[in-house]
Amino acid sequence: MSESAYPIAIFFAAVFTNNILLSNYLGMCSFLSVSRELKTSFGLGVAVIFVMTSTSMLNWVVYYKVLQPLGLEYLRFIVFIIVIAAFVQLVEMIIERVSEVLYAALGIFLPLITVNCAILGVSLFMVIREYTFVESITFGLGSGIGWFLAILAMAGIRQKLKRARIPHGLEGAGITLIITGMMALAFMGFSGMLQIG
Amino acid sequence: MAAPGKIKKTFTDPIGKNNPVFVQILGICSTLAVTNKLENTVIMSLGVIFTTTLSGVTISALRKFIPARVRMMAETLIIASFVIIVDITLRAYMPEVWKQLGPYVGLIITNCIIMGRAEAFALNNPAGLSLIDGLSSGIGYSYVLIVIAFFRELLGTGELWGITILGEWWTNWAIMVMPPGAFFMLAIFVWIVKGVVMKEEEAAK
Amino acid sequence: MKQESVFSTRVYPVLFMVILTVVFISVVSGIYLTTKERVLLNESLFQKKAVLYAAGIDFPENQPQEVQSIYEDRVTEVDSEGGQPAYFKIQLPSGTTGYAVYVRGAGLWGEIVSIFGFQPDLKTFTGVEFVEQNETPGLGARITEQWYKEQFRGKSGPFELVEEGASEESNELDAITGATRTSEAVLKIANKAAETARDKVEKGGK
Repeated sequence: MSESAYPIAIFFAAVFTNNILLSNYLGMCSFLSVSRELKTSFGLGVAVIFVMTSTSMLNWVVYYKVLQPLGLEYLRFIVFIIVIAAFVQLVEMIIERVSEVLYAALGIFLPLITVNCAILGVSLFMVIREYTFVESITFGLGSGIGWFLAILAMAGIRQKLKRARIPHGLEGAGITLIITGMMALAFMGFSGMLQIG
Repeated sequence: MAAPGKIKKTFTDPIGKNNPVFVQILGICSTLAVTNKLENTVIMSLGVIFTTTLSGVTISALRKFIPARVRMMAETLIIASFVIIVDITLRAYMPEVWKQLGPYVGLIITNCIIMGRAEAFALNNPAGLSLIDGLSSGIGYSYVLIVIAFFRELLGTGELWGITILGEWWTNWAIMVMPPGAFFMLAIFVWIVKGVVMKEEEAAK
Repeated sequence: MKQESVFSTRVYPVLFMVILTVVFISVVSGIYLTTKERVLLNESLFQKKAVLYAAGIDFPENQPQEVQSIYEDRVTEVDSEGGQPAYFKIQLPSGTTGYAVYVRGAGLWGEIVSIFGFQPDLKTFTGVEFVEQNETPGLGARITEQWYKEQFRGKSGPFELVEEGASEESNELDAITGATRTSEAVLKIANKAAETARDKVEKGGK
């Protein structure tokens, strides 16, 4: 595979410097709408971490052990999204049986996650960058945590904004986008942190 | 055949009043990533228009046959198939652009606009109207991206479509090339549009 | 009156999905197969162009036949054990024999694969082409832009990075503003390129 950055470096890069949302623009739909509420953001964030890590592992196995040997890489879009949808469905069913509490907390987010482009995006990036299995785990985990941090921070900021006066035209999406831009700028400051090689 | 008025409305709605990107804030994901270059944005837009239109028509044509239980799966399968076709075609005929678009072509599948239109429109309307709706949703999505890309590439690199427009005197606004620039541009766009739309609503009262 | 038969609730949905899946996957596979040849051709053409570009040999962008014949005229692949040649022997425009090798290194995100072309001294670059990279679009990915690649021609290491646009000496390389780490990654690759070339050519000559 690639002789590039070590799994740990990939992890930190995915969380900070190349944040899946702030640098790669993925997972915005749910990010913009859910970040209104701190509690729901937390719940969604946790669910995203879990699903992202699991599906990147699953899709790695499917891609390298099934699709590639059969020469069917071009079908990866369909296969990945089916894996993601099936996995989410499965998890939802399991949680519903096993724990009422957990289901009440997380269950509702799961359908939302299936169409979260960040989840599919992580699998696609992993393939393009030719990560090893370990690297794809750290990448999935790191991306999930990065997304989680972003939505949590955004929710916290929006809480505070409730007392502020915002120009009418910027309410909702507008101001959220500007804040996202500023957060993206801030996260870029982490760039100096990593050394490669 | 539907009344001409309805056809016109089906066409104009997604472009202006109900424009998917900024009014409904859908499909931003893949939007912003490619807006750093005008050429890539145009190609991506064509891909999205192709997918939105054809999947809209297909889903609409099949709407009486799709069992409720597997509705989402069927829609996803159809949309994903068209996206793969776009991906394969790009790879074969425009390999340079394909390399630059990377995973974002595949992400057209999760583009909320396409699924959204399928659920909201194609499932309940005849194929002819769905084609128009798909087409105009795609166009509505595209022109927003193209405007953003126009400014991002011009201000960020002094070029448009790879051709140098602004000369030596221009210092590139590096921020335009980076993610924050995209977020800010979109925010400004939303702001301007909302301002216009709100003025209209005020006048209508 | 509507009857909810076993057929309509269990069998039909499954049947529908199966048929739908088969139809769509067939269409997609069909298109894939028709373009497969072309994709492979594109790849091989791309590699050839990369070698020619790194060697500083001109070629017409949009004429595959021409490119093919120029390549066959001037380039000899040496030691192609299972895939990629160990190195290329190239008849340079000046008449002398230059070389080109694949040089790989870690980029910010994944591997960067480049082809460096050398003068007969195996020290001075004739040019470079970046064949594979996954750097940040608009920033690190700018290493594939004309201006960035052109600066390598005629230079020799060991190299140092300077601000974008400021390079003057033959051992200075422009970095890319905003893409510090990619620039450093390329610096490392450029610095090991000559050694890689010497290794490959000396081994291959046996």
